[in-house]
Amino acid sequence: MADPMHQFEIHKIVDLPDFAIPGVGVIDMAFTNSTLAMTLAAAGIAGFFALATSKGAVVPGRLQMVGEAAFNYIDNLTTSIIGHEGRKFFPFIFTLFLFILAMNLLGLFLVFTATSQLAVTATLAAMTILLVLIIGFVRNGANMYKLFVPAGVPWYMLILVTPIEFISFLLRPVTLALRLFGNMLGGHVALKVFAGFVVSLGMLAAGGGLGLLGIPGAMLSLGGVVALTALEFLVAFLQAFVFAVLACVYLNDVVNLGHHH
Amino acid sequence: MATETHSASPVDASDGVPAAEAAHAASDHGVPAGTTEAAGHGEGGGGLPQFQFEYWGGQIVWLLILFAILYVLFARVFVPRFRAVADTRAQTIADALSEARRVQAEADAKAEAVKSDIDKARADARKLVADARAKASDEMAKTQAAQDAELSAQIDKAEVRIRGLRDQAMTNVGGIAAETASSIVAKLTGKPVTAAEAKAAEGVA
Repeated sequence: MADPMHQFEIHKIVDLPDFAIPGVGVIDMAFTNSTLAMTLAAAGIAGFFALATSKGAVVPGRLQMVGEAAFNYIDNLTTSIIGHEGRKFFPFIFTLFLFILAMNLLGLFLVFTATSQLAVTATLAAMTILLVLIIGFVRNGANMYKLFVPAGVPWYMLILVTPIEFISFLLRPVTLALRLFGNMLGGHVALKVFAGFVVSLGMLAAGGGLGLLGIPGAMLSLGGVVALTALEFLVAFLQAFVFAVLACVYLNDVVNLGHHH
Repeated sequence: MATETHSASPVDASDGVPAAEAAHAASDHGVPAGTTEAAGHGEGGGGLPQFQFEYWGGQIVWLLILFAILYVLFARVFVPRFRAVADTRAQTIADALSEARRVQAEADAKAEAVKSDIDKARADARKLVADARAKASDEMAKTQAAQDAELSAQIDKAEVRIRGLRDQAMTNVGGIAAETASSIVAKLTGKPVTAAEAKAAEGVA
């Protein structure tokens, strides 16, 4: 029976030439199962939206309807959190949401989940936080310190509040990366473990005698796998959504710094 | 088994997993899930395949490339298309609404025009009826007057004739009376009466 961690291992599919980035080191650009999953997710999104938006009909067809539903959902999200300036960041948030959603969902159909790789989730989180920092410094300059000094708080409280705010800001990329990574990792491990129980308890029952008691256990595990799979679909959507919402919230902090819209 | 795998991997990190794969395949039979997991955890952070850092660089670069492609596609192609569709739809609805309003106003104006036409026609008809009635009564009065005049003329003429006849009859009566009286006298007396006598008698009578 397979090791529940086996599904997270990376294999090379096509070995492409390495290249060196000065100051960083040599990067192995091999096309792995992880990059395959990412590429499939990206190609799926691009293909779907190319089809959904190809006609641009005033009265939408089915595909266009689904595309517009996703578009409006995230569009409303960004404008409700960031305000009228949310439109500028909408393509980023929408791409982030769809890419994570596609990688999560693909993980439930294929054998590999790209978002269960910390390298992937950490990159997405770092990208988001970098964007937040760049936007923040471009728009607010030196006023960025206000992020850690909430208005209307007395000075003796600020001594306490500012370090907390600063640490929580530093932890944002970490939590962003670990939340998605942990959810995907945990879900897929649990699925694999329960599926493993079905097989091992079934083997036990095949031995006859007392081992026959394994049959109800195996059935229970199978039910667990089905229920967990349903739950994982919910988690796949929810984690993509949470990532998008948090990206919006963090962007809002720096876009509307010091004034509430 | 996991211990074997991961102790081996730092050694042949550059050429990837095939060795680890082989180790797996060798130790894969009959190890219950729980034991394997425990072994993996016992080893600490190195137990997770996610922490094989030799694959991080490739994954990060691939992810950034794919994300950049997707971002450009969305920012340049898909989102503008969606916005264009939304704008066209809003425009179409606004156009249809204003068109409907215009048509409604037109219909109202037409209904108003028709109503005034009907009112006018009704008034015309009423006038026509009144005219016809007045004309008819005029004519009737005229005919009646003409007939009255004719009739009274006839009556007058008849009266004149009757008067003439009566006068004539009255003159005749005198003659007849004298004649009768003379004939009666002649019968009684047996001698004829002269005309002068008769005349005298008539005057007496």
